[in-house]
Formats: sequence, C-alpha cells, structure tokens
Amino acid sequence: MSPVAESYFGISGYIIFWLLFVVALGLFIQRASLLLRLLKLGRPENRFDRMGYRFTSMLTIGFTQSSNLKSLTLKDPAALGHAIMFWGLIIFGVSYFVFIGLGGGFGLYTIFSGSSFETVFFSILDIVAVLVILSMIWVVIKRYLIVPDRLKREMSPAEKIVQPLLIVVIIGLMLLHFGIEGFRYAAYGIPGSGPPLGVPLAQTLVNAGISGDTLAAVYKIFWWLNFVLLLVAVIYAPRSKHLHPLASFPNLLFRNLAPKGSVKPVDLKKPETSGAAEIRDFSWKQLLDLYSCTWCGRCHVVCPAQLSGKPLSPRELILGMKEHLLEEGPKLLKKQVPASSVAVDKAGVTDPESSTEHTGRGKTLIGDVISEEAIWSCTTCLACQDICPVNNEHIDKIIDLRRHLQMIAKTEVARDTLKNLRVRGNPWRGTMYARTDWTEGLNIKVVGEDSNIDVLYWVGCTEALEDRSLKVARAVAKLMKQAGVNFGILGEEEMCCGDPARRLGAEHLFQMLAMNNIQLLQSYNIKKIVTACPHCFNTLKNEYPKLEGQFDVVHHTQFIVELLKDKKLRVKPSGDALVTYQDPCYLGRYNDIFDVPRQIINDILGMTLVEMEQNKKDGFCCGGGGGRMWIEEKFGQRINEMRLDQAINTQAKVVAIACPFCLQMYEDAAKAKNAEESLKVRDIAELVEESLEVSQDTAKNMK
Amino acid sequence: MKNIIVCMKQVLDPEIPLSLFHIDTEAKQAIPPKAMPPVLSPFDENALEAALKIKDVQEATVTVISLGKKLNRVVVSSALAAGADQLVLLQDESFGDFNTYLTANAIAAAIKKLGQYDLILCGLQASDTNTGQVGIGIASILGIPCITAASKVELVDDKIKIEKALADGHEVIEAPSPVVVTATYEVGALREPGVEDFMSASKKPITIWNAGELGIETGNTNRFDLVKMYQPAHEGKCEILEGASSEEKAEKLALKLKEIKVI
Repeated sequence: MSPVAESYFGISGYIIFWLLFVVALGLFIQRASLLLRLLKLGRPENRFDRMGYRFTSMLTIGFTQSSNLKSLTLKDPAALGHAIMFWGLIIFGVSYFVFIGLGGGFGLYTIFSGSSFETVFFSILDIVAVLVILSMIWVVIKRYLIVPDRLKREMSPAEKIVQPLLIVVIIGLMLLHFGIEGFRYAAYGIPGSGPPLGVPLAQTLVNAGISGDTLAAVYKIFWWLNFVLLLVAVIYAPRSKHLHPLASFPNLLFRNLAPKGSVKPVDLKKPETSGAAEIRDFSWKQLLDLYSCTWCGRCHVVCPAQLSGKPLSPRELILGMKEHLLEEGPKLLKKQVPASSVAVDKAGVTDPESSTEHTGRGKTLIGDVISEEAIWSCTTCLACQDICPVNNEHIDKIIDLRRHLQMIAKTEVARDTLKNLRVRGNPWRGTMYARTDWTEGLNIKVVGEDSNIDVLYWVGCTEALEDRSLKVARAVAKLMKQAGVNFGILGEEEMCCGDPARRLGAEHLFQMLAMNNIQLLQSYNIKKIVTACPHCFNTLKNEYPKLEGQFDVVHHTQFIVELLKDKKLRVKPSGDALVTYQDPCYLGRYNDIFDVPRQIINDILGMTLVEMEQNKKDGFCCGGGGGRMWIEEKFGQRINEMRLDQAINTQAKVVAIACPFCLQMYEDAAKAKNAEESLKVRDIAELVEESLEVSQDTAKNMK
Repeated sequence: MKNIIVCMKQVLDPEIPLSLFHIDTEAKQAIPPKAMPPVLSPFDENALEAALKIKDVQEATVTVISLGKKLNRVVVSSALAAGADQLVLLQDESFGDFNTYLTANAIAAAIKKLGQYDLILCGLQASDTNTGQVGIGIASILGIPCITAASKVELVDDKIKIEKALADGHEVIEAPSPVVVTATYEVGALREPGVEDFMSASKKPITIWNAGELGIETGNTNRFDLVKMYQPAHEGKCEILEGASSEEKAEKLALKLKEIKVI
C-alpha cells in the first residue's frame, strides 16, 4: 500500500513524486551552486593534506558530535539537546531514504511493507520521534521564552519567518510519522507486536469507528504532506542558518590541522595578496566558515573583548561577513572582476571609483561590516575558536584584516611599537635597559662568546627590558645555575621573536625578525630552547618551523618541573599558602599545557591551589595578547581588572603567573585596584626560587 | 614636477639604554655601541615626512642627501623605503660630526651639483650635536632664505607656505621658492614603510660622492673648537618637605625653589 503507487486525477503517483522531487532538487542545486560559486570568489588555500585522516575524522567527530559536546556543561546543556536532535534526524533521514525513496519513489515497497524490518524500524522511530519533539520544545523555549545571552541577536525579516517555519517543519515531520503510522495500521492492519506508540494510536483510531476509506485517505494525505514538508526543508535549508548541517561537515573535513598557535604566513613576493580588505580577499576555507556558523553565539559570550564592553563580537564577525558575502558576492559574480583590485591611494583611503562595489552603494567590509576599532580589540586569546562547535577559525580573519590595515592602509595603530621593532628589534620603546643588564652579578654565558651550551635560555623582550619582569629572568637563571644546567643566552644579539609584529598584522616585520633569529640560532647550532614567555614559546615552537626553523622548545615551567622531579632542585614545601593560577592563553588554550604549572604549585611546592571560576580551557585572558599590550583600551572595563576580580574572589593571597604579559597586566590591575598588599603577583620561577632549599655547596653554584 | 631635497643625518640612536652609552673623553666622541645600530635623526625624519606629504598631493621628486664618515646602508635606505625617490650619500673621512661649516658646504655643493631644486628640508637640529646650524648654513651658502621650526609645509605653484609654532600660537609665512625650511616634530611622524615599499626601495638609485668629487676644501675648515666631551655624573638627592597642610608644604616648596634659584 504505497501512496505513490496510486493514481490521482488520472496522474500516476510516481510522476507526481518525481516531479516534486526534481523541482525541490533543482531549487536545492540552484542555491548550492550559488554558494559554491561564492566560495570560489575566495583565494586558494591548501587544506588538502592528509585527506584520509581528514575524511575519517570528519565522520567520527561529526557523528559522535564531539566538537559540539565539548561545550556541554551544567549551565549550558544545549549541546545535549542538539546531539539528540542530530542523531534523531539522522535516523529519520535513513528511514526517509529507505521508505520514501526506495519504498515509495522506486516502488520497492513490497520488500518492506509489513516486514519485521519495517516494524522494528518504526518502533525505533517512535522513540526517536518523541526525543526529537522534546528537543524541539527545548529549542522553542530557548529561542522564544528563556533566551540566553548568546542567542540574542537581531534577525533579518527573512530569518524571522524561516526560523519558526523550520521548527514547525521538524515538529511536523515527527508528528506526521505518528500520523502515517497510526492511520496506515488502522486502515490496512495492525501488526501484532509493533511500534509502542503507533500500535495503540492505530487501535484508538479503529475503536473510534472511522471508516476504512477515511483512514486510508488520511493516511495518503499525511504521506504526501510528509513528503512535501521534507522537500520544503531541503529547499529552505541552504537558504537559512540551517545551511550549517550541510557546511559543517566539509568544514570539519577541511579544518585546521596545523598547530593552533600558528598563523599562515604571507608570501611577501606577492604583497597584493597580503591581508583582506574585501570579502573576496579571504580564502575559500575562511568563507566556508561563514556558512558553517550555527548562530549558537558561544564565541560571543566567551570573548574577553566583548565581555569588557569592546565593539568586537566574534559572532558578529562571522555572521556579518556571511551576510556581506551573500549581499555583495552575487554582484561580484555578475561582474567577474579579477581578484583584489581595490586601489588604495597614498593616504590609505580606498578609492571608491575603482572599488569592485560601484554597483550602487555597497557596504564596505572594513567600516560597515566590522569597524576598525573592533578589529584592533581582539586579544587573540582563542576562546572563540576553541568553543566553536563547527571548528570555525575566527583569529585568522582578524589577522588578515589587520594585515591589510597595517601593511597596505598604513594605519596609525601601534605605529611607534612597530617602528621600535623595526629599528631596535624590541617592542618596548623607552626601555632604559640593554638586553644583558638583568644578568648583572650572575655570570651568565653569552653564546656569542662561548657557544658550548646544552640549552639556550631565550629571555624574550619583556623579561630582558621591562622593569618588573627582569626579576623573573633572574629567578629563572638562578634556578638553572642552582641545578647545574649548562645554559647560555643570546644576549644583545637576541631580537624580538616577532609575535607582536605578526599579531598586529605587520607580517613583513615578523618575517624579517623571524628569519634573522632563525639564522642566528642555526649559526650557533642551537637545538634546545627554554623560554619563560608563552608568546616566544608559541612562536618559536609553532611558527618558526614554517620558515625552516626547527628547534626543540619548552616552556620554563616544563623545564623546571623536570629539574624538580630529578631532584636537581630541592624545595621546602611552603605551608598552606592559598594560591591561584592564571592560565596564559598562549600556553594553555594554544598549546594545551595546563597541568605542569599546577603540578609545581600543588604537588611540589605544597601550596593550596584554588581555581578561579574560569580556568584551564575556559581561562580568561589577561588582555595582553594580540599586540594589545601596546594599544590603549578605550571602551568599557579594563580586561585585566575584570580578571583580577576573579582572582580576588578566590580569596587567594598569591596569583601564580607563567607569562610576562600576564605579569604586567596583573601588577597594573593590582595597583589600579589598590590590591597590591592583599594579593601578590609572582611568576612560578619566583615561587620556586623563594622556596629553594640551598645547602652550603649548592650556594656556590649561584655565584 | 617639483624637486624637493631632504637632508638627513645618521646619528647614534638617541634612545639607547643608558648602560650602552659611553663617551671616549680622549677622542671626544660617543662610542657607537655594537648592539644598537645608528638611526636617522628624529627631526630629519619629520623633514622627510613633510616632503612626502607634499608628494602625496602633487608630482614631486624627493631626493635625500646624507653626509657622514661611514654611512650604514640599511639605515639610510630606510628613507627610500619610506618614500624618497633617490639617495645621495656624501661620504668622506673628513666629514666629522661637529664640523657644521664643512657639512653645510658639502651639502650645498651636492645640491648645486644636483641642479634644480624648489625646496630644501632639514631637521630643526640633529639629535646628537643639537647645533641646528647646518640648515641655516646651507641657506646662507646658497643665498636663499631659511625658515626654521616649521610645523607645516606646503608647496603651491612657486610659493612655499609654512606654519611655524610659537609659544602662544602659530605664524603663517609665505615665501617664494626656493627656500630652506627646518622641520620640527609637529609636522608628523615619518610614515612606516609598507611591504611594497621595502621591495621597491632596493631598486631606487643611490649616488655616492666624496669631498673630492664635490670639489670642496676639507682642510682647516673647522670653525668649531670642541673643548671637552664628557658624561656628567648623575647624583640624585631627594629632600622631602614636611608640613601640616598642603598649603604649608606648597609655601615651603616655593621658598626652597627660590632659595636654590630655580624660580
């Protein structure tokens, strides 16, 4: 009894079926082809390495919903609801293929009708449908009744219609499952042991005394309605935010497999490809991110810039760019203008005459879609990217926009800092220190004079040149001497690792500094490097390899913990001081190093570690990354003061630090809030040094 | 097409850390530290920015002239990266830091050798010697006017229009070209080179002349007798004035300042 096998007003059901299907497919392909052509506007990007692994992991991550479930917490259990809906709709998808497609359209219903396969499947669908309906009720509550901050966004008039439409469609499909089941069984025969809800429903219908003809007619109507609703979903999905199920699988497939902390370099031989001024300056993969966005808004509510009142929102970056692509993209396709042809006059002003948008007053990417102020507000803390359930990459877009502003539009932002980097090799303009001043009295090997060392201590600009941080460099050096490590420093030859330059968009400056450093390190045959700065650590470890600089790089906490475990350093446990720990973004989220510093504090130093409300992967940025150390905050609250409040709330007496930027930020915040007496800020190296057990012979090593 | 000449001096980096700054009292000169390369004198960079601002709005050729005993190519080429069109290097053993008369003569000779010019820009004074004489000297030798301490420079047809900052406002001066103008920091910071600028800089022409090629006398030209060069010993003394109220402390402070003849 397949409704497709019958005739309606003299027309075969098969003709109606396939006609509707072809129309829906056609409309789907029309939209999908536009979306693909818009992607092709973007620049090339090579994400085709390791295709085998990419493919299998796409399936495992996608079907286990692991990148979504990672954000599951008691406060935000929505990921569970999504997983239920996802698995449920997959199962329904299979049933549609089998029963509507094969059974209906291809006329193979005789294989399935009345079979135990069908009965078992329908039983499963009964349960799944209930679960999906429950999750959809949850959706309705979350979107219309109790709306969390992350979902509060102005919807376009079209979206205001399509969103409830698709909710109705999904709930409708679930209810129709029961309707089709119940009326079919009632009309044509109820199976003995069958679907737990379908059978009682059918029984009720039979008992109600409705005629067999009516039951059959209603069954057929429901069947066709089900088919039509399915096709409506197919037509509208790529025309709404429900594009995300289609795009998120390719997005998983082509996700970033390089280290999280590395940014793709720019080919300086083709400077016109540096940075992004227009939507088409992004790569196809960056544009695919825009399709994959699910509107969940999780990035929005973890962004320290957003939370402190800055005009930046990672969600608005992505969705604003998506809307911009859909608005401007079709115009660009019509004109077939060659890539990136916006002329910029010498003062850095975009020439509107030569702009590819002179088909009427189109919006500009930088300015209308995202303001310059927002672009500079990012601290590159990675919280947005880390929490994104579809593996979107927000940071590389910000950096590409910054690259345009810095290298082509010649922005004034951080100009002094970058000039200092170019001319003096460090970002700390006005420092009164030379790079070796901190070594006074410590007798430390400089590699230029004696290159016989086992490990290089890469001091970093902040610890060599910034007043408070010099103490940390001394502490690290004293610990290494005490432990008898044969180490040396580059001294005056050391230049900035380049992190601020790259994060501020001055890619040419970054490459100049990096190449210089790599050459220097290679000329001294340096193999192992230890550094106390997570930014230097990340750059040397994850970004230098792309410029042919391969070194074995460890963070000082990793190095010190080994010295402590090997008993080369002995400490006396320091009682029950309450200590809290600031996870540096570039050590924690970027490089997944969370436990080593905690081991030192908790296990080795015997201090009582109390966590701030946001810690480890959820750690809150100090505000210093992304070159923001050198840009003044003009809006809202100061990020470092917000974070200090979290530290104060733990009742700890000491904040343990593992990054010189965090150190600066915490010290500044403590001064601003008059908390210097109640909350001491100490680098982990300083804490270890303060707890050192120094015997008579080892004291000699310190000289 | 306007021809603008900018004179830029390579100097010891005025922002090197104290620990790297040493004076050789015998040789009466600062010892250039290995670790920190020299830079272009800050006011000279403002002078170049003034020239480039003119070039932003009209056709102009900017020629940078730099004079010294031993010029650092990377340092002086940064002027090309910033936007200058060509570089003229005047290098000779006799070109010392403090011989302003010889410097002015040499640069004036180079300018005459280059030919036609509409405007000559210099920094107000070099950050190492701080004499402020060379710009004025060049004008005197070439027989053209010199306007110092400009905060804005415009070139309109054959007239130069300059704004000069005063203690209580500013003066607007108009002069027929050519003139020498010395610039202060108010003109604006020198623009940072973009990535294309670095690339194109290496293709721009560099000409090198010595004293002989300039046809100038170098012997006995020094009108400057450098008696002594030394680093003053820095002594810090802090006296805290006590008082029952802010008014009392302020009164004590005023009297003390009068006593030590500060006011």
